[in-house]
Amino acid sequence: MQAGAALTRRSILKGAAAGTALLVLGVEKAKAAAKWLSPRRVQKSAATTMDKDVKVVHSVCLSCNARCGVRAVVENGKLVKQSGNPYHHYNSRFEPIPYGTPVKDTLALPSPVCGKSQGAPNSTYNPYRIVKPLKRSGARGSGKFEPIEWEQLIQEIAQGGKHFAHLGEDRVIPGIKDMDSDALIDPGAPELGPVRNGFVFIGGRDQNARKEFSDRFVKDALGSVNRVGHTDICGIGFRMGTWAFTEKKEVEIKADPLNAEYILLFGANIYEALQPGINTYGAIVGNRSSRDKVKFTIIDPRATNASGHAESWIPIKPCQDGAFAMGMIRWIVENDRHNKEFLTAPNPKVAAQRGHACYSNATHLVIVDEKHKNNRKFLRVSDLDPSAPAEEGKAYVVLSKDGEALAFDKAEDALLAAETSVKDASGKEIKVKSSFSLMREGVMEHSVKGYAKLAGVEAAQIERVAREFTSHGTRAAVTQYHGAGNYLSGTYAAYAIAMLNAMIGNLDRKGGYMKSSGGAGAWNEGLYDLKNFAGKRKPQGVMMSREKSAYEKSTEFKKKGYPSKRPWFPFSKGGLCVETLSGIDQQYPYPCKILFTYFFNPVYSIPGGYRYKETLQSFDKVPLHVSIDIAINESNIFADYIVPDVTYPEGHYGFLTPHAPTLKFTGVRTPTIEPLTGKTADGRPFCEETFLVDLARAAGLPGFGENAIKGKDGRTRPLTSGEDFYLRGIANLASAAKVPQASAEEVAFVEKNYPVARFKDLLPAAEWQQVCYVLARGGVFDKTYEDVFDGEKHKFGLKRVVLYNEELATTRNSITGEFFSGTLKYVQPVTPTGTDIEKADKDYPFTLISHKMNLHTQSRTVLHDWSLEVFPENFIVVNEKDAKKLGLGSGAKVRLVSRSNPKGVTGKLQVSELVRPGCLGVSFHYGHTQLGAARLPIGKAEEVFLGGSSVTDKDGLIPNPRHGTGINPNDLSRLDESFGNTPMIDPVGGIPDFSSTRVRIEKA
Amino acid sequence: MHAAMKFGRNQTQVNEGRNIMNNRRLFLKNGLLTIVGIAALAKGAKSEAASKPQKWGMIIDLNRCTGCQACVIACKAQNKTAPDQFNTRVLSLEDGNYPESRVIFTPVQCNHCEDPRCVPACPLEATFKLPNGIVVTDWDKCQSYGACVPACPYGARFLDERHGNKVDKCDFCLNRLEQGLLPACVESCEANARLFGDMDAPAGEFAEYLRRKDLAVRKPELKIKTSVRYVRSRKGKKGGSL
Repeated sequence: MQAGAALTRRSILKGAAAGTALLVLGVEKAKAAAKWLSPRRVQKSAATTMDKDVKVVHSVCLSCNARCGVRAVVENGKLVKQSGNPYHHYNSRFEPIPYGTPVKDTLALPSPVCGKSQGAPNSTYNPYRIVKPLKRSGARGSGKFEPIEWEQLIQEIAQGGKHFAHLGEDRVIPGIKDMDSDALIDPGAPELGPVRNGFVFIGGRDQNARKEFSDRFVKDALGSVNRVGHTDICGIGFRMGTWAFTEKKEVEIKADPLNAEYILLFGANIYEALQPGINTYGAIVGNRSSRDKVKFTIIDPRATNASGHAESWIPIKPCQDGAFAMGMIRWIVENDRHNKEFLTAPNPKVAAQRGHACYSNATHLVIVDEKHKNNRKFLRVSDLDPSAPAEEGKAYVVLSKDGEALAFDKAEDALLAAETSVKDASGKEIKVKSSFSLMREGVMEHSVKGYAKLAGVEAAQIERVAREFTSHGTRAAVTQYHGAGNYLSGTYAAYAIAMLNAMIGNLDRKGGYMKSSGGAGAWNEGLYDLKNFAGKRKPQGVMMSREKSAYEKSTEFKKKGYPSKRPWFPFSKGGLCVETLSGIDQQYPYPCKILFTYFFNPVYSIPGGYRYKETLQSFDKVPLHVSIDIAINESNIFADYIVPDVTYPEGHYGFLTPHAPTLKFTGVRTPTIEPLTGKTADGRPFCEETFLVDLARAAGLPGFGENAIKGKDGRTRPLTSGEDFYLRGIANLASAAKVPQASAEEVAFVEKNYPVARFKDLLPAAEWQQVCYVLARGGVFDKTYEDVFDGEKHKFGLKRVVLYNEELATTRNSITGEFFSGTLKYVQPVTPTGTDIEKADKDYPFTLISHKMNLHTQSRTVLHDWSLEVFPENFIVVNEKDAKKLGLGSGAKVRLVSRSNPKGVTGKLQVSELVRPGCLGVSFHYGHTQLGAARLPIGKAEEVFLGGSSVTDKDGLIPNPRHGTGINPNDLSRLDESFGNTPMIDPVGGIPDFSSTRVRIEKA
Repeated sequence: MHAAMKFGRNQTQVNEGRNIMNNRRLFLKNGLLTIVGIAALAKGAKSEAASKPQKWGMIIDLNRCTGCQACVIACKAQNKTAPDQFNTRVLSLEDGNYPESRVIFTPVQCNHCEDPRCVPACPLEATFKLPNGIVVTDWDKCQSYGACVPACPYGARFLDERHGNKVDKCDFCLNRLEQGLLPACVESCEANARLFGDMDAPAGEFAEYLRRKDLAVRKPELKIKTSVRYVRSRKGKKGGSL
């Protein structure tokens, strides 16, 4: 029968007439007449860019924070397909099409983007989205909400009052108006700031543009200092290392994936997560490694998805990345394999002569004389000669090869290692050491064998990796990410890892350790001033998280000295949402009055976030809680009001600059479809912008409403919708980046396809024409990878890195009163009061570690049906040897318990060879109890949820059991008994801990 | 000796910037010209080249596949397959013993076999192979007998419960090919692990891969000639889920 069928087809083919044989379906003439029915016609497969009557929009993704380009195909107003943007560097392995390519020539070009982005329609059209504002109609956390009219919502939050009297709650809720006061929170402690600071706004997933829009409300209009991000739970760990390494100038530094020959990965899950994302960084490394252009080593307690391409996997003990790095540095220095040419360059000029765009302070002298008033600081010319003029006096000092003290900028060369005394002008001796010597001292505290033992690896592994790392000139580099450093002691772990790069001098060099080159141009100033307005305030005082404030300046310190009640973080990078919530819980350093949370799910997303359920339920600790979000989650279930927002295909205007090493661009996000939320009486969509505008006006705050935005032409314009702000921002960017005017064809393309074109009359025609050039391409991508280099040197690089950080060295730990080490130091992972969790919790034999998955980000992708189809649940991944000892196999249902959660949570085991024994690997993203996982008694539910009657009945919201599968590792995280049983944090940067929690496996 | 070694092993510090051609773009240029050429012909122009259909094929390099599942989702987004059914999936396989262990990813789908076993399994001749190599199912003829499903040794066929259990599977995104676009899975693979093109007129990197002598097939013991082939994982003891 088979042969018969083939014969039939072949003979038909023979008879096919030339030229018509290849009718569109490629079917021979005879069959073409009969036409067969493709399943795609019945299934109504998604339209493509080539179909008639579709709209195509280039924008930027927000399905994670990588911000790749996207191309949306919209049919009948519906987003039917999202793929990548060929103009964007992230969708093309750093090599996009030329920026000037006419947009019509790009529509058939392929452009990849990851599965989270392709899945965007799942969340945009998710039936569990709320489209109307909600007000609590029962106890906090009961799930009882009902819709409230927009105007009523605005008035209640603006004015305050007894808004829950009908529930029997007698208290007066504070309104925004009550926060608008310059009276001091505590007249006895004026440094804390004004009453305004009782308003706290925590941003979960916001990005530039929306972030500045809400900054305008919180900081500029209301004047509160408490506008907090979430950098801490994202990945402040490794960022604290680069923060110290660059003297607080940069945090995002990674191996150049396009030209590195060898990449050493510490806690970097490049095939499942990272910024730039898996379709960028992971794809570049995967592609190049297949062509033998790069090899990489994975240092991680988990093998990760990249293990199939790695040259090796080193299963390290959690929290010990610093030990491994310091062992490497010891071996490198003792074997004389450090880059002395780089390290001995005392200033930028000499470094440049030697081919480096960056220099280090390795040769710079530090005063190590306890009697000296500038002990622990850099030796400066003014210390040697107080009569030196101010500018000259500031200069650092090095020792020439002959041992003579010189100003660093006058030296042609310098001693790398120095331990001596120098004489000042009066003949007094000052004991000094070079930064390199101090760093080396820190490293020498343990032998390579000692570091190996701490890291749970073999000394030979440290040596092998160190040898490999120092065998590629400057074309080797480290990429450390959230796994390395997001734990107690993480600052010093990450600093040591960053330091590896200084050892080989790869900073600012092609194939080396590099930062991005920034954006294409300013967007918040230029043609229109989006920063300033009449009545703009300057926030003052101490943040709830105590980030960037020194305890020693506080009244509390003057009264009682050390320890502070909770740690203060003067040296932190900031973005401490965990310490903000802990501060709110402890009402320290002052109470919170109003809490606004934006796209933020702390109960779910913070390790130990379950602890904040009681915080959010307390009327005393959180008198008013307003959430701005798209659905009801584990945290805003406790809110008093929920303001419905749009998903990013409907808004979230953004100016997105690179996280990627080398690149220089600004992606521009504008909507690809019209908003799906309800509308105000005057037709504006329910979303964050409409909410903040209306709230500001109702509360009488400046900066919103009429005469809010001043142009270069001297005229002022109103700010009543997001577009008033963002469209002018795009005009600023287009002008600053000097993009051409779009052709008439491209203007027509934008006006036909882009929802934002509805607002084009906000701009004069010439500006709109220039803006269209940017919009058609989804941003400004006019600089290629090569454009940012001058030969091997990065033109927009770090310029200076430090082996000793003076500011860190002179900052005190607010609990112990001791100075932090200014250079590398092996720090045991202990809590701020010195508890070693490994010892304290030794009855809990397994360390719990977590990770992200390639089809998920944080909490919101539980709404991605397709992601759940591929991965219906998650597992507790256990090493095969441990499983054997337990007598358990894959699929076994177990209960994990920790000291802080003795009741524990249940999950299923998966036996594996890809996790270190003694560790349990549990992915994030599962174990939800909300976001569609629970029945909720919502009033008038059918009109509240986008899915209407498909997910509601007379009793409220009907859950989807698929949303509640699996286990959330954060539910087990260890809390710190010394600080009110709140989540553990590292005292230097306020790093929340993701890798110290220990658990026991029990029968389910 | 791995065929991959010929790529760049002898080159010293060559920059990956502009020096390297974007291979996908090159194929695309050629590929597009070919497809657009055909489409233009369908509208009436005549040419000798038009009389020969393409012979679509795919090669998947497991040394590039990062297991990201973008192809799985892109396919689902494009083709709107039935819930929990997929035209393409990515299998993951643990390989080696701790600590020399790893995971190998293998994207799988319909192999558009030369002599498909599914075709003769259908008594209604509802499934057939087009001259361009793609094996398709005619939903006018399919009566949901389902005999073709177990006939496929690769498990590529499945029933669409939304449409009376008619049979569905990968069709190399035929409707996209008609429009001069790549299949959704190929487009979504930024690592370029999926090489795709006309096996009779290959271009760019696809042509390079086609010349390899080490191409593997799934279930080689079945000795089936497939249009989808693989480059085995170099690092894996087992070369992949093949």
